[in-house]
Amino acid sequence: MNELIPLMVIVPLMAALVISAFSRFNTLTKALAFIVALCLPIIPLASNYGLHYFGGYEPILDNVTNVMYHPAITYSFTFLQQIFIAGVGLLTFLVVFIYLTKYRKVSGPYLFLLFLGTAAVTAMILTDDIFHMFVFFEILALAQVGIVAASSIDYSYEMALKYMILGSIGSPMMLLGIGFLLALTGSVNVTDIVAAVHNGLVNVKSPVFLLSLGLIFFGWLYASGLPPFHTIKSGIYSKAEPHGAALLQSFTVISMISIVLIMFRIYSTLPIFEVLIVFFSILAMILGVSLALTQTDFRRMIGFLAVGELGFIGLGIGLGTQFAITAGLFQALNEIIITALLFIGFGAIVNATDEVDTRKLGGLLAQHPKVSIMLLIGGLAMAGVPPLSGFQSKLMLVQASLSCGYPELSILAIMVSIATFVVFVKTYYTMFLKPKPKELELEGKEVPRSMIIVMGVLLVIIILLGVFPDVVTNGISNFVGGIL
Amino acid sequence: MKLYDQIFDVVKQFKKLFSPGPVTNADVSGSITAEIFLIVSLVLAAILLRHVNVLLAGLVTLILAVVLIANIPLIPKFKIEQEDSLEKMLFYAIITLAIIVTFMYWGGNFV
Amino acid sequence: MADVQLIILFTSMALVVIGLYAAIFVDNIIKKIIGISFIEEGANLFIVAIGYKPGGVVPILMPGMDTSWFATNAAYPLPFGLVLTSIVIGASTLAVMLALVMVLYRRYGTLSTKVMLADTSKQEEYNE
Repeated sequence: MNELIPLMVIVPLMAALVISAFSRFNTLTKALAFIVALCLPIIPLASNYGLHYFGGYEPILDNVTNVMYHPAITYSFTFLQQIFIAGVGLLTFLVVFIYLTKYRKVSGPYLFLLFLGTAAVTAMILTDDIFHMFVFFEILALAQVGIVAASSIDYSYEMALKYMILGSIGSPMMLLGIGFLLALTGSVNVTDIVAAVHNGLVNVKSPVFLLSLGLIFFGWLYASGLPPFHTIKSGIYSKAEPHGAALLQSFTVISMISIVLIMFRIYSTLPIFEVLIVFFSILAMILGVSLALTQTDFRRMIGFLAVGELGFIGLGIGLGTQFAITAGLFQALNEIIITALLFIGFGAIVNATDEVDTRKLGGLLAQHPKVSIMLLIGGLAMAGVPPLSGFQSKLMLVQASLSCGYPELSILAIMVSIATFVVFVKTYYTMFLKPKPKELELEGKEVPRSMIIVMGVLLVIIILLGVFPDVVTNGISNFVGGIL
Repeated sequence: MKLYDQIFDVVKQFKKLFSPGPVTNADVSGSITAEIFLIVSLVLAAILLRHVNVLLAGLVTLILAVVLIANIPLIPKFKIEQEDSLEKMLFYAIITLAIIVTFMYWGGNFV
Repeated sequence: MADVQLIILFTSMALVVIGLYAAIFVDNIIKKIIGISFIEEGANLFIVAIGYKPGGVVPILMPGMDTSWFATNAAYPLPFGLVLTSIVIGASTLAVMLALVMVLYRRYGTLSTKVMLADTSKQEEYNE
């Protein structure tokens, strides 16, 4: 049933509006939010693959040039979209679940922001229309700013404003790039643009075409938090509530891959495209991990690690072969789940201790054994220890870069994994294993049970993906074969 | 001898990096790891230039290695440049934009 | 008559450059935001200019019009539709930014970016 495809965007969008309208009725809001959140992962799993044309405008065949034109905004739904939308839907459900159980009186506007963000990333990954993607990219930025500003952490407003001002430079640049493409091809539909580029209607060597790549690429850097935006990205993660941060990083990853896949389809004929992506990915890996090593605020540290891990995704896509892109996308899926686990786990520690400075913490293993064990496994998965899911995707990436003839990149990827491991072990030691400092008072505060349940669910997914990676990689590989 | 002193001065510099507040072993050793990681990974990334020109790659790698090692500790300098004040972030964002646009417009076909 | 489209394109690029200049060099946050919205307007103006057609007509097919005449003379309607959406988004972004500035102005009592949006570790000194 292809009617379900637009519903993936419409349901969270409508829910967001209805919930914020009826936020005076607490029980009703809670029930509605729970039901909608439960629907989010189910709809993509129940839907069939296919295309959806908004307004019912089917593609038109031009008899003179024999080219298909797509007048409608088109959503295309394949295995890749299914797995990512189900992933972010599940994560939204878990985050909403934590939020609903944590507070007795829930805030309608906050739930509005969570659902709005989910709807925006869902539309971004579904759409085949570059301007439609830009619109939801802006909506996503607004939702992210709202989630950050709504947190009760000090200086969250400042960080939100900084993110917004940087975004007001990044997104008009992307719009200009889209404008250049529109001027060259007369269309904003990606399939039409790709057809124009491949049929030679556009001169791929013209500076305008290259400039459009540069401008859209700059917007992509902002969306994905690669350098020079790595500081602000890690900043907003550290200033959001932990469950909000878990959702924010999934938004970042999905907007990153949805924009880069569109860019890949349009610009993959240009050799410079891959050079650019690999360059910024390497920069992100090096800067992210080396800055994570020097942080004392552990939320900021996880933020920098998350940015560093994004470099792996970029690396896979920048290498440009079918195997490498599959590895990059698989890494994206793993990162969404693993980083969410880490944010929620460390957030549980903040909840229980009211302290974010690693130097003032210690000896928490005795107090919170469940959280610490699950965090340990999550950290190992992020560093790429078998048999967890991070290992599978990183191994694929290393193999891919070796088979492309770039052994330096393999060594670099392994080194970054090791450094990630060092960051994690250092933080884990200072927080959980070191003797408890005298000043630290733990007056019997418990970690909310919902957080532990959510961590357990994410952990099961990590282990399952680590043991059976083929379930996902085969489908992704087919998808990648289709766009190459 | 000067380089030797400089290397041993690194730990003192890291102490300043974490002030105010106590400086723990884990933090200093983490920073030293970051320092080594930064140098090694940047040099390693420079080797990638061999796909453009082998001679250029050798030259850049050597110069980069010498410059980086002569300037340790790098991490305090890196951290100051990457603090989250709006001024610095905007500056770097716009510099990057300028470089990308200039490079793409005039040099995009030479790769 | 000079080429209208070219003049518009130059104006839009000038707006973008002025905006980027303001983003780096202006300290007052309100002025900075005004400058940044220039960038947005420059991008919008650019897209509007794409749809320009010398001597073109409004792309609405009225009854009695000859379709082939209309097809050759109508301006390209897609950019106008896109810009309309983009303006709405820009306005909402601007509103949220100014709302955040309002809250922060009450807290800091100044509009200087150097104070209000400094590094997080330094903010503790300013905000006693």
